[in-house]
Amino acid sequence: MPKVVAEGIKKTLGGVLTLQEINIEVEEHAIVGILGPSGCGKSTLFNIIAGLMRPDQGNVYIEGAAVTGNAGLASYMRQKDLLLPNLNVLDNVSIPLVLKGMPKKKARLEAEQHLSTFGLQGFENYYPSQLSGGMRQRAALLRTYLYASGIWLLDEPFASLDAITKRKMHTWLIQVLGQFQPTVLFITHDVDEALYLCDKIYVLSECPTVVKLEVEVPFSRPHHSHTIVDPAYGPVRDTIMDALSI
Amino acid sequence: MRRKLTSIANGAVPLGFVVLLLVTWEYLVRWKAVQEWILPGPVLIARTLAGNLPLILKHTQTTLMECLAGFALAIVLSFILAFVMDEVPLLRRALYPLLIASQTVPIISVAPLFIIWFGYGIMPKIIVVILVCFFPIALSLLGGLAAVDREYLELFRSMKATRLDIFRMVKLPLALPSFFSGLKIAASYSVMGAIIGEWLGAKAGLGMYMTVAQRSFQVDRVFAAILTITALSAALFALVALIERLVIPWNRLTEWRDS
Ligand SMILES: Nc1ncnc2c1ncn2[C@@H]1O[C@H](COP(=O)(O)OP(=O)(O)O)[C@@H](O)[C@H]1O
Ligand SMILES: [Mg+2]
Repeated sequence: MPKVVAEGIKKTLGGVLTLQEINIEVEEHAIVGILGPSGCGKSTLFNIIAGLMRPDQGNVYIEGAAVTGNAGLASYMRQKDLLLPNLNVLDNVSIPLVLKGMPKKKARLEAEQHLSTFGLQGFENYYPSQLSGGMRQRAALLRTYLYASGIWLLDEPFASLDAITKRKMHTWLIQVLGQFQPTVLFITHDVDEALYLCDKIYVLSECPTVVKLEVEVPFSRPHHSHTIVDPAYGPVRDTIMDALSI
Repeated sequence: MRRKLTSIANGAVPLGFVVLLLVTWEYLVRWKAVQEWILPGPVLIARTLAGNLPLILKHTQTTLMECLAGFALAIVLSFILAFVMDEVPLLRRALYPLLIASQTVPIISVAPLFIIWFGYGIMPKIIVVILVCFFPIALSLLGGLAAVDREYLELFRSMKATRLDIFRMVKLPLALPSFFSGLKIAASYSVMGAIIGEWLGAKAGLGMYMTVAQRSFQVDRVFAAILTITALSAALFALVALIERLVIPWNRLTEWRDS
């Protein structure tokens, strides 16, 4: 049974039919990419899957149960780090634990154990404004992880980073994903990023949005930071680019 | 080292200008270019201030108390109103235009009413202070709350935060810088409000001291009162600025520069 299913999702926003019909399936532990033009409704789709917004039609299923409109079942991360400027790194990443009712001290201890995995060791007392963009995104991802839902919705998490930092984040993310085995939906504009990280990619059309292409990535995630040289890379990339450019 | 010298020099220029102005003023008065009972010189004003210091301090105490009480109550009222208006959109839509419209009523024009209703004690002054402080505080708080990025709210809702959690953990801290900018404006307004209240009739306070001096044409005392009021205003402003530094230290951190 797939871990996450979005079935026949339709959504009109401000009088405009944004999502016409979206069908998406994500297997447990899979990394699934969502590619699509700006404004086609990718973030809207995530809001629906996260239960923050109800679709006009269609349903969201998690492990087979209909959960449409139920918030709190998936961990959500955005392009903006959304760290609170008044809290230091440790308190920021502890937020999901505190919201679940854990005492602050215990939440800090728990969060502290993961700082090194997320490259934040020694920075726990820094405020977000004192961190680099890459570190802020890693802190945001640690917060996402600590929500501990097993489903991660990552909405263009690295889009605001420079190319070099982004590349480092990819290598690091692959290692983190291997360690925690979450089920991931990953929105991106970047075809190579999608091919690098994902097992399966959905390409969405312009508004009114439908799924234009669904492709399995025919090679496994690399465990190095080198360019992928698999002969299937070029043809898959071209298929995706073709689907995106019309 | 050189930078430090430049910054001292930068401070010295306006200071030197002020000294020059005061000296010119003093000599104009000594040469009888202006009559002393119309415009006393700085030296006489300083002497009057020093001579009347115990009395002036007593009146300052009354005025300061009115300011602080009115200021504190205005903050409490602003918080209640801003919370309610922020949580209930219908109330926001109903009250916001009224709040703005209420500002077209000059406080001075309604202040005499409070004297009639509440007499010559400190109560009507506190009410005037509340009225002048309430608007900048409430508006800056409301503005700060409304300006919070929607994505923060969505993120916290996705983590099942309650509305109270969101207000406490997200909206309030993010609104604090805006709130303090309103607070700093209100700090200076509060002194003005108290003085206006006292002008209309009071048993004590700097405004009352001023009116008494004015009626007996003691211009040097009027000037001494003006000086004291200015100092009080500046002190309150500085106090709020200091509290701001303590409450939101993260606002002054040096930013990381990606390079
Ligand atoms: N709450 C809303 N009300 C009305 N229109 C919205 C709302 N949220 C987003 N939109 C519009 O819906 C479209 C899809 O938005 P979004 O899901 O953010 O696109 P994407 O993430 O693919 O760039 C955009 O044109 C956007 O302006
Ligand atoms: Mg988006």
